[in-house]
Amino acid sequence: MFDYILLFVVALSAVLAVIQENLYKSIIILGFESFSLAAIFHFLLATDVAATQAILGAALIPGLFIVALYKTTQGRDE
Amino acid sequence: MEPFQVGAFLTAGILVITGLWAVIMMDNILKKVIGANLIGDGVNLVLIGIGYRPGGLVPEVTHQFHATAVPSSFSHFLAFNEFANQASYSLPFALVLTNIVIGASTLSVMLALSVVLYHKYHTLSVQKIFEGMEEED
Repeated sequence: MFDYILLFVVALSAVLAVIQENLYKSIIILGFESFSLAAIFHFLLATDVAATQAILGAALIPGLFIVALYKTTQGRDE
Repeated sequence: MEPFQVGAFLTAGILVITGLWAVIMMDNILKKVIGANLIGDGVNLVLIGIGYRPGGLVPEVTHQFHATAVPSSFSHFLAFNEFANQASYSLPFALVLTNIVIGASTLSVMLALSVVLYHKYHTLSVQKIFEGMEEED
């Protein structure tokens, strides 16, 4: 049951990350989506892919996004 | 096909459609990069869902295989056959493992290009960037 809930969470957070106006919130929701996707990979019997996706998708990619966003808008809303 | 496999494919379809909509329709250039990341996630989920076998053994966790494999006899061939009949299909896992890392590196290149565009045109909106390009010509 929990795996189906995770599928729903991934779909919902992908839509929310796109329609969100504030870019910081959008990046955080994107990291949440990537980590839920790593849990789905674990339920699909791909444990090595789940570990890589958890590290890259939940830590590296939001970090790169936040650095790029800070270097463009300097923390201002645009 | 298993019901969970069908659900994974439907979720991947939602991810790809959402990412395509963000890439085509959104005006902010960082939202387009987020959409490209979502498309890559959807494709990875499709590939992982192909290799799923319900109740199968994980190919990387080989306790079952090593416990029954006896060296210096031919019995470990049978053990390997049993293991191969019960394990999930592990070729897409290796492909997706490469695809995740390549996706992260191409994403960093896309972000660096958007930072360069912002420093040249002082905006993140794609429409204003096109207007600035037309003024230069």
